[in-house]
Formats: sequence, C-alpha cells, structure tokens
Amino acid sequence: MNDESTLRAGEKPSAYVSAVEEHTSVNTAPALKGAGISASSRSAIGGGISRFLASRWLGLGAAIAALALPLISSSTYVIQIAVDALIFVMLAVGLNIVVGYCGLLDLGYAAFFAIGAYTSGLLSTQFGWPLIATVPVVVVAAIVGGLLIGGPTLRLRSDYLAIVTLGFGEIIRITANNLDFTGGPNGLYGIPDFGDFGLRADIALYWITAVVVIAAVLFSSRLGRGRIGRAWRFVREDEDAAEAMGIHTYRVKFAAYIAGAIFGGVAGVLFAAHQTAISPPSFNFLWSALILMAVVLGGMASTPGVVVGALVISLLPELLRDAENWRYLLFGLLLIVFMIFRPQGLLPARTGEPGRRGRRAQEGAS
Amino acid sequence: MTIIRRGTMAAAVMALGLTLAACGGSLTQDSSGKDDSDTIKLGMLTPLTGSSAAIGPHMKNGARLAVDEINAKGGIDGRKLSLTVEDEACDPKTAAAGAAKLVSSGVRISVGGYCSSATLPTLSIFEKAHIPMIIPAANSADLLSEQRRNVFLINGTGIQQAQAAAKFIKAGNSKGVALIDDNTSYSTDITKRTGDELGLLGVKVADHQSVTAGESDYSGAVNAVLDSKADFVYWTGYYQEGGLLIKQLRAAGYKGRIMVADGSVDGKLIEIAGKNNAQGVLATMTQTPQTIPGGEAWLAKYKKKFGSEPGPYSTQAYDAVRVAAEAVRAAGSTDGQDVIEALEEIDGFEIFSGPLNFTIQHTLSVGGFDILVVKDDDFVLDK
Repeated sequence: MNDESTLRAGEKPSAYVSAVEEHTSVNTAPALKGAGISASSRSAIGGGISRFLASRWLGLGAAIAALALPLISSSTYVIQIAVDALIFVMLAVGLNIVVGYCGLLDLGYAAFFAIGAYTSGLLSTQFGWPLIATVPVVVVAAIVGGLLIGGPTLRLRSDYLAIVTLGFGEIIRITANNLDFTGGPNGLYGIPDFGDFGLRADIALYWITAVVVIAAVLFSSRLGRGRIGRAWRFVREDEDAAEAMGIHTYRVKFAAYIAGAIFGGVAGVLFAAHQTAISPPSFNFLWSALILMAVVLGGMASTPGVVVGALVISLLPELLRDAENWRYLLFGLLLIVFMIFRPQGLLPARTGEPGRRGRRAQEGAS
Repeated sequence: MTIIRRGTMAAAVMALGLTLAACGGSLTQDSSGKDDSDTIKLGMLTPLTGSSAAIGPHMKNGARLAVDEINAKGGIDGRKLSLTVEDEACDPKTAAAGAAKLVSSGVRISVGGYCSSATLPTLSIFEKAHIPMIIPAANSADLLSEQRRNVFLINGTGIQQAQAAAKFIKAGNSKGVALIDDNTSYSTDITKRTGDELGLLGVKVADHQSVTAGESDYSGAVNAVLDSKADFVYWTGYYQEGGLLIKQLRAAGYKGRIMVADGSVDGKLIEIAGKNNAQGVLATMTQTPQTIPGGEAWLAKYKKKFGSEPGPYSTQAYDAVRVAAEAVRAAGSTDGQDVIEALEEIDGFEIFSGPLNFTIQHTLSVGGFDILVVKDDDFVLDK
C-alpha cells in the first residue's frame, strides 16, 4: 500500500494548483520515476490515447457492448461471470470514490458489500420482501454503517484509517458468522431475484445489473468532475492546505466515505440476487484487498481505468481456472508484472483538461 | 447533449432492440436441449484450491475410478460416461461460476459438492438447467430446506449421525449422558439432535456443555461432567479440542465411556489425548473402505490406479458416479426429470453405506454411520 507515500511525495510542487488543474498527474509522476520511465514517454501515454479513453464515445461504446453481451453469447457460464464482473466493477468505482478521489485508504470496503447483501438477503428471505423493495433499506443501512464507522475514524489519517477500516471489515464478517439470524457460517440462502420479465432468469438479472452498474459508473465519474470531486482531490493532495482554503475536510471526507458505502451496499443487493446464497467467507479481507487492487491496477481516480482494472481482477482468475492449483500463483505473478510495467495503472487518470483549464481554475478557487 | 449525440444514442438503442427481437429465442428459453450425444457428461465441483484443496483430488480420483470401471464394462446402453471437474475452492462465488461452467459445457448430472456454503449457491443454477445433483460430501440440512427436487445427498446427515449415536448409547444402558460441543454450527447441530433422539429413547441427558474452540484448559467442562455423574460423554467438535478434553477428563478421574463425532476421527486425536487415555474411545463415523468388511479389494484397486491411499470422500464420490449411472440406466435417458424420478425410485442399490433408498427429503434412508473404537494407534470398527 504505497499510495499514501505516493500522495505525500506528490505534494511538493503546489498541491493546490495540481489538484485543481489536473486530474491525477501528480499522483502518477513519482511512481513513474520510480519505475525508470521518462517524462517524455509519460506524455506519450497521457496524449491522444488517454484523451480517447476518457472520451464519452468510449464510455458509450462500452455501455452498449455491456448491454449487447447476451445477444453475442447467452451461455450460462458467460452470463454468470459477466454478472460477477459487473458487480465487481460497481465495487471498484465505489471504492474509487474513497481511495482514488479522496485518498482515504479503506481496507474494509467489503464490509459495506456485506451490509448490503445481508440486509437485502434478510428482508427477502425472512420477511418475504421483494428484492427491489429492499434497496432503499440497504441504502439506509449502508449510510448508517458509514456513519458509525466513518464518524470516529475519518478523524484519523493514513495508516491509522487503514487499520481501523480493516478491523471494521473483519468485525462485520465475524459478526455475521456468529449471529443466528444471519444464518451463522452457512449464511442465508434462497434469496429471490428481481423477476425474469419473460426472459431467461439469469439474462434478466444480467440486464438489470448492467443498467445499474452503467448508471453507477456514470454517476461516480460525474461526481469526480464536479465541485465535490475537486474538493476530494484537494483533500487527497494536501489535507491541511485544503482546510486552510476553506474546505471542510471532515465533511468532505465523510461525503466520499458515505458515497462509497452506498455503492458497496447496492452492489451487495445485486450480489445477493445473483448468488441466491450468501455466507461470511464471501466478504473476507481478500475481497477488500482485491477491490483495492482493481482501483490501483486500473489507475486511481480514473473511471475508465478502474473499470478495466475491475474487469481484469474479476475475470483473470476465471480465465485461469484450468490452471487449478497454479491459478492464484499465476494470478499473483500477472498482477506483479502489471504493476512493474504499468505502475501508474492500466489507464491512468488523464493529465490536465485541455481547453478548460482557465474555467476549471476559477471554479476551483470559488 | 447535442442533437447528433442524441441521434446516435437513439440509433444504438434501436439497433439493440432489433437484435433483441431477432434472437430473442435463446434469451427466453433454457439452453438445455435434447441430449443425443453418445457420451453421458457428468460434472463435479470439488475444492482444488483454497482451504480444503486437499480433498479435491480424493473426490476426483474416486469419481474417475467409477467412470473408468463403468466404461470398461461398455458404459450405459452403449453410451460412455465422461467426467468434467471444476474447482469450487470452498468459496461460494467460485463455486457458482464453476456450476455455470458445467451447465454451459453440457453436463447432464452433477456428482460434486463438498463445502456446504459453497454448494448452496450452485443449487439454483443446476435446478434452472434441470440438472439432478447427487451430492457426495456436503451434508448441511440447509441444502434440503428449500426442498429442491433435483438435490440428493448420499453422505450421512447430522440427523443420522445423532441417531447412530443415540442408538448406541441406549444399547449401552447409560445412566446419564453428557453432550459437549464446540459452538460451531456443525457441532451444535449434532449435540442438539442427539439430545432430542436420546429424549425419544428415554435416556437421561445429564449435562450439556459448549466449550470454546482453541482453548487449552477445559477443566470447567470436565468438572461439570463429573458433578453431573454422567457415565457417557459425547464430544461433537474437532480432534484438537477433543484430544485435550479426553486427556483432561481421564486426568480428573472420569471412568465412564467417551464417544466422539466424525470431525474428531483422526490419528491426531489419539496423539493429543495420549495413547493410554484414548484406548477404548468410541466414534461415530461415515463408512469408509478401511472399516467395511470386504473393502480391501476396493482399496487395492484404488491404490493400483492412482498410487495413493483413498482419502475422505473418495468412496462417496465413487458412489455418486455409480448412482448417477444407475439412474440413467433405469431412466433410459439423461433427461433431468426422468433421472430425478429414477433416483427417487432407486431401491436397494448397493453403495458403501449400504443398500440405497432415498427418503422423501432425498437423503439416505439407512444410517451410513458406523461405530468405531480406538485400538492402539487407530480407529477400527467396533465389533
């Protein structure tokens, strides 16, 4: 977890200016230097390709591709792992708000995922609620969870925050493992889906998931560009400077944390519907680590990057299924190779915003 | 949003709609069609990675042995069996993806399932594809509570273990029984059910203790057992704590009998308790070739083929394949519904746990549990 040190190293020029004018170039520069990649090759990476990658056309194309997948292949297996991957994308963009935009290292993100899955699972199996009706309750539960854990811990910084969130993640899982009404170690099962709308049940769920996840990706991306997004980046670059400039850092960090919690909770509902059975091992520390991995691998604070990172992290183990016992060894090696050759992430956040710089700077100063 | 972009969006949506209409068939119907190939595909989910990875090869080899034997005899109605194995990793998400992969590869019958929590999410995937499941190892009562018609368990359940234990205790004319569990769901399930069974048989439960796994001093439980004047102790946790408990019971002067459940049947129990203390300790255990009279021939076959000893659930996996083949033979087809009916009607088919008949809940009708006893360094069949 060296992103904190990366962020600190990035303060040097002028954290304020960089946070306002650029997306995350400051964030990636030291990492690039560390890997021995020259500044010129960096600008090549950050040139036309990344502008294309950040364009709306790419996003639209990806959304259409996601929606069209069942028309290309409707095999049970493809749909199954595609839903897994989409849910993982949602988790990754949710965590990206917390870690990527705001720089809060959260090692217990799976806790919100678990809160969402268990809340909707309990309401649907024990009280017979239709799954869709559980969503508002899940959102409330995720917010309450975020308030309870965020309230005291967001006053902490860096490593301390990481440790407390790690603990929180484990507390949720172990609590679920030991309570009777959560089904103990075997968890909850027989969770209904949203209905099949005359389609094959798994394909109907795929489309619902795709629509929710596309909306979530758009929402998270827009959130990062708005006023609050700039405030988040400023807090990430230099909390003290941000505070001095009049940003209520505690409140802003809280907003990021709660937004992330809601994303995690809703992803949990989709997961519960998809798996039909949920149990504590599905929400272990490995999950939190993998989601964080997707954010870092893809490129922190870069929405296209995080989406690609999530797809890689969730699909790679499936593609390596035939390697059996070698599966996670190969997975780990590939991740190390990725991080050696692309330390800034697969699709790092774009540097600067050509043509809008003046206006952005003005807005940021307001 | 500009006019042009809106136009593009509309075009894209329209194109999507058209394609949808064109190939709506595969989206509304199940992919499982008629099976007229000349192989009968069996699929097995078993842990090949993760915390229970050691079990996977045992189950895989057991199933492979049965497949090869049946194929050597000409298969079923001239059709050969084939076996596809996928990793469940004891992880629900991996198991669900593995189940979907098996469904997509055209598997007709599932003969896998080890970890109960990982098997639960696969039930609906197989059910939607009309694939019968003969589950060799996973045996949680949760697997049955939704009463899915395609789910059959051929491992003994907690109820059956409790019945076997209660029957044995009753036969020994015990004056009072102390039940001790370690607070895990597996363990408390057995003590609770054993208590119920003993109540039905009119045997007095003198004491019921729950200890915390991982501790090293169980004198609290030991003293409670001595105070209750129980002459029979049934421990339902795992061997680590079981060994200590036996040692401390004997050290405190407990003279009565001690029995342990299948989670404690391991050589380590004898090691921890001390060889002298462990002598005569009884156990309820699913049948294994090592304890079945006449199981040596099977053991020899297995060893010859794979060069290793069979492990836990090798026999159940072997039986699952044989039961699947038998059901296909009786049904005369691999159609899910026909096979399920054939499975329900199986009458007295010989498997390791005895003649097979499924109950209305799709579990084994006869026990499947033996009483073992510690003799020297091993658990042997109690004669």
